[in-house]
Amino acid sequence: MIKIKDIEKTYTKGSVPTEVLRGINLLIQRGEYVAIMGTSGTGKSTLMNIIGCLDKPTKGHLELDDVDVYKLNDDALSSLRNKKIGFVFQQFFLLERTTALDNVLLPLIYTDKYPADANHRAKKALASVGLEDRTEYYANELSGGQLQRVAIARALINDPDVILADEPTGNLDSRSTSEILEIFNRLHKEGRTIIVVTHDQAVAKHAQRILELKDGRIAENDTGSKSKN
Amino acid sequence: MKVSKAITLSCKILTAHRLRTALCVSSMAIGVTAVVVMVSMGRGAQKLVLDMIHDMGTNLIVVNAGHVTLVGGRERQSAIVTTLRPSDADAIQDYCTSVVEVAPETSRKMNVQWESENLTTEIVGVTPSAFRIRNIEIEMGRGFDSVENESGQRVAIVGTVIVEKLFNGEDPVGHRIRIGSAPFEVAGVMKAKGVDANGVDRDDRILIPIKTAMHRLVRTTFIQKIHIQVTNSKQLELAETEIRELLHERHRLQDKPDDFTIQNQATLIQTERESARILTLLVGSVAAISFIVGGIGILAVMLTACRERRREIGLRRAVGARRRDIRTQFMLESLIIAGLGGFFGAILGILFTFFTSRLGGWYTIQSWDITGAGLILSTVIGMVFGIYPATKASTLEPIEALRTE
Repeated sequence: MIKIKDIEKTYTKGSVPTEVLRGINLLIQRGEYVAIMGTSGTGKSTLMNIIGCLDKPTKGHLELDDVDVYKLNDDALSSLRNKKIGFVFQQFFLLERTTALDNVLLPLIYTDKYPADANHRAKKALASVGLEDRTEYYANELSGGQLQRVAIARALINDPDVILADEPTGNLDSRSTSEILEIFNRLHKEGRTIIVVTHDQAVAKHAQRILELKDGRIAENDTGSKSKN
Repeated sequence: MKVSKAITLSCKILTAHRLRTALCVSSMAIGVTAVVVMVSMGRGAQKLVLDMIHDMGTNLIVVNAGHVTLVGGRERQSAIVTTLRPSDADAIQDYCTSVVEVAPETSRKMNVQWESENLTTEIVGVTPSAFRIRNIEIEMGRGFDSVENESGQRVAIVGTVIVEKLFNGEDPVGHRIRIGSAPFEVAGVMKAKGVDANGVDRDDRILIPIKTAMHRLVRTTFIQKIHIQVTNSKQLELAETEIRELLHERHRLQDKPDDFTIQNQATLIQTERESARILTLLVGSVAAISFIVGGIGILAVMLTACRERRREIGLRRAVGARRRDIRTQFMLESLIIAGLGGFFGAILGILFTFFTSRLGGWYTIQSWDITGAGLILSTVIGMVFGIYPATKASTLEPIEALRTE
């Protein structure tokens, strides 16, 4: 369960402060599929980064499974990201000159104990996104859709509770977008919590709940989007 | 993150950036090679000079007529001084308790002729004791004895350069040559000794009995130097004092300055060793600068890597890398680069030293201690110069790193 209380975030550029998030309160249950929407600059990526413990708010609290994350030190936060959260970014963020398999293995390097069956797990993760025949391909040899699927496999390798995806289809064509959304649907059915940041209504429709951000606040909390479509 | 995993990871990253890694490794390797080669050459030069001094003989004191000064590291006699005589050598032998043997010497450049060949070379008048004191060995034929010296026999012992130049490499023993206008019989050939510390070729000379030289050839009553062998190296200082006092008295110098110069082999060795040590230190210091340049190369490459790989750092942090994991990874990369640089530099240094000696004709000494030190120092330099980029990389906030354009 993700509990967000009175989160505020202000960036200061020069001497001008910009309020990006202005008191966000939110509860996301385990196994939910949530889409965060909003126009550019409304703070949806900032909110996602805060939920993913990549960024800290100026004010407020975040609890992941009843753990107050701001009471954790930097090492514990790293460990939490490693075990509980899988990230999928718009720009894929795969390591260049590195094979798909090695990219997927990356989070395992930072686990407390590197598993003996790491390669098997990575291959299984790649197979789950339909890339079992691309394990030894380098990042520059894969298409955009394939790169994003490698990124999803990487996010899944540690079997995290939450998948955080920031505009995961932003750089993809419609066919690849459908493939990625199908994977998210399947992961949701498997019981994972999925939070997708998007400005695309078609992507958001796949979620159970749509949060509309406007001027740093949740303007709309639609809980019936998936059933409606 | 396990160290073995971190090493594998760093190796993969370095392999992925082959050109950058190779350039950085070579900058460090050049530094290590320079240190190893320069010190090996410096030490070679030091040994060469010390060997030359030892080759003069052991526990030796040399008394030169007049003042001998060092010009460009080589001896120069200021003027012809006529005060040093054979009787001084006899007195030293008789009155100085720590002296074993003396060998007076006189020399002059003269024309030498054999059949139609002729050349100008150093004619050195010596006593038979010179062969023992100065380690002069006979390769062919024989030397001459005190009877031949006392009776002023016209016998000559020639150097190997004379054999080559005058006799075209033929065996000269038994042949008659002319030194100036006087006929001499070649009794023997000296074993080659090469160039001495003063740059004089010891094989381009002819030894004849000193009495013959003084009475039948150059017709002088004075000599240029006396080589004196002392019982042991501890007696060198005492002997020098005894000789100085004796000659001072014999030459009736009273308050006047010495008309001779005494060179003590121990002092000479110490001076040469010190100057060679300074030379090695100087050369080593210059080479060490290139070592530091290699370290700065690592610093530059790792800082560039830190800037170029901000997103990678951000990603690693996002998927669970702790600050110390990033720091360890960057430190290991610097260490591997520096270690490889040190390793290749050491091998290149050994090879260069070998080929400089073989092909270039330089006298070198493989400096294994410096090679080992270079290897260790390169790793230390890698570590020191890697600290800043590693710290910089590890302190990047994940979100800041991921936002890098």
